[in-house]
Amino acid sequence: CTVWLYRLAVSSRCSVSLYRLSLLSGCSVSLDPVDIQALRRAAATRGGLLNNEMRRKVWPKLLNINVFDLPHRPGRNGREKHTDFQQVVLDVKRSMKRFPKGMPAAERDALQEQLIDIILEVLKRNSQLHYYQGYHDVAVTLLLVVGERMAMAMLEKLSNHHLRDFMDTTMDSTKHILNYLMPILEQVDAELHDFMTRAEVGTIFALSWLITWFGHVLSEFKHTLRLYDFFLASHPLMPIYLAATIVLHREQEVKQTECDMAMVHHLLAHIPEDLPFELLIGRAQGLFDCFPPPLLAKQAALQSRNSLSISSFQAFQLSTLHQRPDSVLQPGDDGELWRQGNRIVKVAVWGLSATLGAAVFAVAQTAMDWGPEAFLQLF
Amino acid sequence: MAVSGSDFPGSLTNAALPPPRTRIFKIIVIGDSGVGKTCLTYRFCAGRFPDKTEATIGVDFRERLVEIDGEKIKIQLWDTAGQERFRKSMVQHYYRNVHAVVFVYDLTNAASFRSLPAWIEECKQHSLGTEVPRILVGNKCDLQDSVQVGTDVAQQFADSHSMPLFETSAKDPNSQGGGNHRDSDHVEAIFMTVAHKLKSQKPLVLSQPPESSVSLSMGKDVGGDASRSWGCGSC
Ligand SMILES: Nc1nc2c(ncn2[C@@H]2O[C@H](COP(=O)(O)OP(=O)(O)OP(=O)(O)O)[C@@H](O)[C@H]2O)c(=O)[nH]1
Ligand SMILES: [Mg+2]
Repeated sequence: CTVWLYRLAVSSRCSVSLYRLSLLSGCSVSLDPVDIQALRRAAATRGGLLNNEMRRKVWPKLLNINVFDLPHRPGRNGREKHTDFQQVVLDVKRSMKRFPKGMPAAERDALQEQLIDIILEVLKRNSQLHYYQGYHDVAVTLLLVVGERMAMAMLEKLSNHHLRDFMDTTMDSTKHILNYLMPILEQVDAELHDFMTRAEVGTIFALSWLITWFGHVLSEFKHTLRLYDFFLASHPLMPIYLAATIVLHREQEVKQTECDMAMVHHLLAHIPEDLPFELLIGRAQGLFDCFPPPLLAKQAALQSRNSLSISSFQAFQLSTLHQRPDSVLQPGDDGELWRQGNRIVKVAVWGLSATLGAAVFAVAQTAMDWGPEAFLQLF
Repeated sequence: MAVSGSDFPGSLTNAALPPPRTRIFKIIVIGDSGVGKTCLTYRFCAGRFPDKTEATIGVDFRERLVEIDGEKIKIQLWDTAGQERFRKSMVQHYYRNVHAVVFVYDLTNAASFRSLPAWIEECKQHSLGTEVPRILVGNKCDLQDSVQVGTDVAQQFADSHSMPLFETSAKDPNSQGGGNHRDSDHVEAIFMTVAHKLKSQKPLVLSQPPESSVSLSMGKDVGGDASRSWGCGSC
């Protein structure tokens, strides 16, 4: 069924708007059982999932994670024996910027230790996966939102799907994914495409965007979170489409730059702080719909190469559709942390019938019960 | 000495003035992850040790305009990712048109020194011949208590590859090096040495519209002492 999302101000006092999952009659509105399509739509359309409470509920669902059967907290014994231990530590220690500014050092230290733990644990459990610099930027984003055990579960799932291509022994598959970028540009703005081709800029400027889902390059955490909502709900190639919209958005600047590899690379590699992300997300989705990956691959005569992320996506997506409701999964009422906050997603629902074009309110619980503070925390 | 530089050369491109040709020296900086490539390039271009660095993913550029013997020259440093997987398939695009190579190891980390032959091999594979000036930099000499790579061993290695060796610290470039008889080299001096070396070579073709506002000059001659160690006479 079609899902629509609409924007409602939480209150006149706060500028934060709340999006409501607005479902046509017959669709489920709560998380139990999961209406995964609706959640996916919510995560991808204007505003995304709004706050971390919501994310804690919805992100695991988007990845089909059983919240009642999380991996155990990793032990620290012998972690330094892992081949990637040194590299992981080096990268995590240098990732200070990813933590909220006001966070006490002791707390940050503890989180950094957890970060090292979960990364190494996922790698240990999946010998087919190889660490890359930037993986820690994904892990830290998850950790800060959903906590250690859930972050580990999500990281493991992502690593075997969306991020899988980046984790081969070599980066050849990653290069293949990057090769989708120029063909998208060519479809939309041949002039820009030609300019960049003449400059021989390559696509490495977008490498960190792709493999960290922009976590490495955005300084505002809220933007990173917003993009993660989008990517968790989307095809693994979506970061490339977003990369394309960013380049297209800066088309004027690019064309005014000297047609030189270094100049164009440098301009593009540094993402401006004030990008209109909501707009760009909408455009990326539009580009994806107009020029889906198979079409691009054909038109650009991209060398065929098996991408595990792409080839496993359909099955992955199907699996998310068949999640069992939490009430079935839950072994007992033993105060599982992840059930707390269930009501958040039931917050407020504004149903609108597309066919009638008229709004039908089905407000389960208004946002006012929560007060704007809860939503403001993040912004 | 006036040290200024830009981490963001974007402004350089906007100059609408006619181009009295500014030559660009492109220098690629390579070596294992964590040896301090980002810190060294940052120190040279921005004049100070960065508060924090992050892992370099792919390639970063930094550049600085300097004046050598009355000529304005743009030194462009290509700061590359150290992790092996990036070096293998990602960075090669940036080896093209490089004028000089700076190999960096961490003198408190023997493994980073042992990796040098692999990095040298990497250069060969990207058809950077011996005519391209190369130097070896041992970084972090401020950490004198943790030195793992002695100056003698490093010097021997450098000699065998006809490269000059510099021991330095991106953090505290004036501190004394691990070796007892030689001063540690200033980061500034190291890159300027390479620039002098390049300037003395045959003219390079690349040009660039000048930036009007920035004017830099070296306050002292830094070319002399260190550059004598270039072994191969042809370059
Ligand atoms: N004490 C000391 N520490 C240094 C020096 N140079 C760099 N460091 C530290 O070494 C670590 C790595 O430095 P980076 O410049 O990020 O290393 P890199 O070679 O760019 O690493 P990758 O980007 O991963 O390839 C950082 O924590 C720096 O603070 C130095 O001269 N002295
Ligand atoms: Mg670096």
